[in-house]
Amino acid sequence: MDIRGIVKGLHPLEVRVLRRYRRGSPITAESIMKDLEYKLGQCNQVFSWLQAKGLVVEKTRRTKTAYELTELGKEYVEKGSPEERIMKLLGDKGPLSIRDITDRLGLENKDVGSAFGILSKEGALGMDGEKRVTILDAAKAARLSVTRRIFELAASSGIVDEDALSEMEKGVVAGIAKKRGAGTAPFRVVERDEVVYELEAGVDDIRAELETEGITGEEAGAVTPEMLETGSWKTSSFRAYNIDLPPGRLIPGRRNAYAEFLENTKDKLVSLGFEEFDGSLVETEFWNCDALFMPQFHAARDIHDVYSVKSPEKAKFIEEPYLSAVARVHEDGGDTGSRGWQYGFDREFTKRLILRSQGTVMSARTLPKARVPGRYFGMLRCFRYDKVDATHLSDFYQTEGIVLGEEVNLRTLLGFLEMFAVEVAGATEVKYVPGYFPFTEPSVEVHIKHPVLGWFELGGSGIFRPEVSKTLGVDCPVLAWGIGIDRMALMALGLNDLRELFSNDIESVRMRRAKGN
Amino acid sequence: MPKIEVNERAFFDLVGKRYTDPAALEELLPAAKAELDEWKPGEGKDDERTIKIELNDTNRPDLWSTGGLARQLRVYLGGKIPDYPFFSRKGALREPPKDLRVIVDPNLKGIRPYITAFLISGKPITDAVLRDVIQTQEKLCWNYGRKRKSIAMGVYRAELIKFPIHYVAADPDATSFVPLGMTRKLSLRNILKEHPKGIEFGSIVAGLPRFPYIHDDDGETVSFPPVINSDRIGGVKVGDSRLFVEITGTDLPTLNIACNIVACDFADSGYEITPVRIEYPYDTAHGRSVVTPYYFQEPVSAELPYVHKILGDKLTMDETVSALNRMADRTEVKGDTVTVFPGEYRNDFLHAADIVEDVAMGRGLESFKPQAPRDFTIGRITPLESLSRKAKSIMVGLGFQEMIYNYLGSRKDYIERMNLDGKDAVQISNPMSENFEFVRNSILPSLLASEAESGRATYPHHIFEVGKVCYKNDEENYGVSTRGAIGWLSAVRDANYNLAASQFNSLMYFLGREYSVVACEDPRFIHGRTAAVMYSGRRIGLFGEVDPAVLSNWNITMPCIAGEVEIEALL
Repeated sequence: MDIRGIVKGLHPLEVRVLRRYRRGSPITAESIMKDLEYKLGQCNQVFSWLQAKGLVVEKTRRTKTAYELTELGKEYVEKGSPEERIMKLLGDKGPLSIRDITDRLGLENKDVGSAFGILSKEGALGMDGEKRVTILDAAKAARLSVTRRIFELAASSGIVDEDALSEMEKGVVAGIAKKRGAGTAPFRVVERDEVVYELEAGVDDIRAELETEGITGEEAGAVTPEMLETGSWKTSSFRAYNIDLPPGRLIPGRRNAYAEFLENTKDKLVSLGFEEFDGSLVETEFWNCDALFMPQFHAARDIHDVYSVKSPEKAKFIEEPYLSAVARVHEDGGDTGSRGWQYGFDREFTKRLILRSQGTVMSARTLPKARVPGRYFGMLRCFRYDKVDATHLSDFYQTEGIVLGEEVNLRTLLGFLEMFAVEVAGATEVKYVPGYFPFTEPSVEVHIKHPVLGWFELGGSGIFRPEVSKTLGVDCPVLAWGIGIDRMALMALGLNDLRELFSNDIESVRMRRAKGN
Repeated sequence: MPKIEVNERAFFDLVGKRYTDPAALEELLPAAKAELDEWKPGEGKDDERTIKIELNDTNRPDLWSTGGLARQLRVYLGGKIPDYPFFSRKGALREPPKDLRVIVDPNLKGIRPYITAFLISGKPITDAVLRDVIQTQEKLCWNYGRKRKSIAMGVYRAELIKFPIHYVAADPDATSFVPLGMTRKLSLRNILKEHPKGIEFGSIVAGLPRFPYIHDDDGETVSFPPVINSDRIGGVKVGDSRLFVEITGTDLPTLNIACNIVACDFADSGYEITPVRIEYPYDTAHGRSVVTPYYFQEPVSAELPYVHKILGDKLTMDETVSALNRMADRTEVKGDTVTVFPGEYRNDFLHAADIVEDVAMGRGLESFKPQAPRDFTIGRITPLESLSRKAKSIMVGLGFQEMIYNYLGSRKDYIERMNLDGKDAVQISNPMSENFEFVRNSILPSLLASEAESGRATYPHHIFEVGKVCYKNDEENYGVSTRGAIGWLSAVRDANYNLAASQFNSLMYFLGREYSVVACEDPRFIHGRTAAVMYSGRRIGLFGEVDPAVLSNWNITMPCIAGEVEIEALL
């Protein structure tokens, strides 16, 4: 037997029982209630704990009947039963009509009626010539004093054991107690098991250990303001807790792990000198595609299957001079040195409203007001005409940005990509391969090796085609880049389904946490 | 992004090098902006195995076939830039045999005005070649030809054709033939109703007064472009050794590129290409009498200093030229200027920038050393982001769990369950499904959807989100406003207005914003237990006890208080 282990896990209620009783002597709930002033619930609790530890054993069990006062019974104890009150009233006032009795005692007609019925049957009361109730023979109501004694016995604890009653009393109480539906009777019949326990072998060792350790079960549970005020803590000792128990759960207010990941990434980009941009979820074909030199009637447009807005269908206008400049660059290249796409630009189609399908929209919108040198980024919700599954969402985040400068070029683009790979994504190796985007030339894809996650594609980038940057008023080269932020987030959060990032499930969001620091 | 399957043996024969290790092939493919999708070199015989490859450049349809992709890689590995003598050029048309002509009907002008054609001969068609040409046709017409709208291609058994060929605008009801895969004659109009291809592609021509139609000199049907070929002449089989190819469409450059790609691919595989003369009764960019395949591309030039500026490395002219040649670009140098004559199959040189990219790829990206930026710039988040973060930290302190939701949802969730009329909600006209048909105009339905799904999560529930909402607003150019908002919801047994008011008051106190409330009626909240939030004289949101009718719409059985304000209005 692991004495120390058991002692450590004992509740004060158990300690006091173990110290109070010796082996061989019977213990019952009643005896504990008397000796240790436990409540009945505490007795039951302590027996079940001690039994589970094998420290007590059940010896005998028998069913005992008791009578418990009902709400009505408690009223009778206090005010007297209708019978008692009628006898007393008539004793004081002499004969009275039923009506008078009812009024004076504030009782209901039927209660007075039934009390009169019983008492007159016993010969204690009768009706005189004037139809008034009158005492015939008070001695015939001796039963009332027996009832009163039973009430007195039950008054303090609200219950009286059948064992405590005389044979006569037993007979009387049985007449005024009900098993069920006791609302109309003063007593409810309660049957309960009286179990006798005895301590098991081994408790002596435990008691000895308790005594050695000075554990009495009287130790204080908690430090209270009163103890601190009165200084009583000085003479108290505090019960040891079982620190091996699993801690209870708290539900704190908390940040969303994915939102926090996005913010951390923003902060990293800010630390690399990037200024954030943001904009409308609804965009025009103009900014979403045309300004990015994606021809209106070309297959390149198909890679951006977009959602259209039902109403309104079109923007009221497209900002000039950009509309005319973009229209021209599509038609014949304008003054960008390009030959353009050689078709008639549709100035109505370009006003069509759609849900932003790529973050590059905001890069384009930023160009006209951008500073040189300048670095800008956005973490933008984008929408795609895709079937929603583990790897596709109908709306998701894209992280996009631009770098403007007289001296930016392919090598500085690679320099920036390396910075993102290391600083933002925590990569140990970086690989560049040629990519394709309709609005950049040259275009570069970045693949990185993460120490834990292995190789994956971090994002795409390139140098804006002059047809894009020059048309929107920027003469210097502009680097453009995008990072697959949702995929990075999945990896950082240990998830493998994009839908989980935007989960509705409160419990799973509460429990989610990011890997690493 | 197109994905193609190539026959392993045919592909490596054309590349001029056999690969056995996928990793080695993966190293090579970026030279064509391609990625290896699937290849199991160990299984079966090499002429039965296929390699699946994904092509990333949507502007290089020439790479979407075995021949085209192999050509790019062959030259990159040191092969010769191929020469295609069968091409006609401006002022130098090839002279096809007299009968090899397509005569175009004047009525096609507003219908489907252009056609290109050529003949393939020299050796029998193998199974691999037939599969590849069908794949090329699909990729070109689907991805590049906008699902046959701008180009459609047909391949035929030339033996069965009596030249010249006639491309006409036909009466859809009076013209009939046996379409490919069927045994009975159908009128052009009935083909649209009854033939699977007619059902799939019919919409391209359905509204036209007359339908494009090709027949031979005997009146035998060749094709009903862009829908379906004749069953007889169009039923090309392995072993056929003379094929006729035609491509019809609405955009001449697109048509020429597609024609040139297919001709070059067959030429690379050792077939002989015979040009065909097209006789238009109307003017085209290349005249009325055109011989196809036709080289129409214009040369593009770049100055060396521009190449240096964009690449950041001072390459010599020799290095520049050899990089371009490696990308199969024919060049001419004059002083500091390099001029590229694009391959017959390419039409993606628009600007000197396109030359620069080929220089970078030809030289190899790995040859460019990353350079750290030297400019100094100041980074910052937007004022909205800054205020949002402040609000989030207050909400977390108040015991709320932050959530993040999707912005698209259903009419049922965003409108019906909220007891709203949805008048200001932004609807998508081409939704993928009714589950994603509206942009949310409030955060509240997102929060209620969460609560509805989370009845088993330990209570109490205190959740919030800072995000965007979108609603119609005629005052804006787009007729729509996007705003940053904060929404919150508490689902607790004793949720009541007083708690909601205290929560909101704490938020505003710590944000340092003075506000007032006025009573308001809103179908989402219990009347008399709802407050509209006023800030700077403007209503910016509301909070209160969620109406039991709304909770019951969501099957929520826990009382809820909730609120939402435009956080952007507090800036």
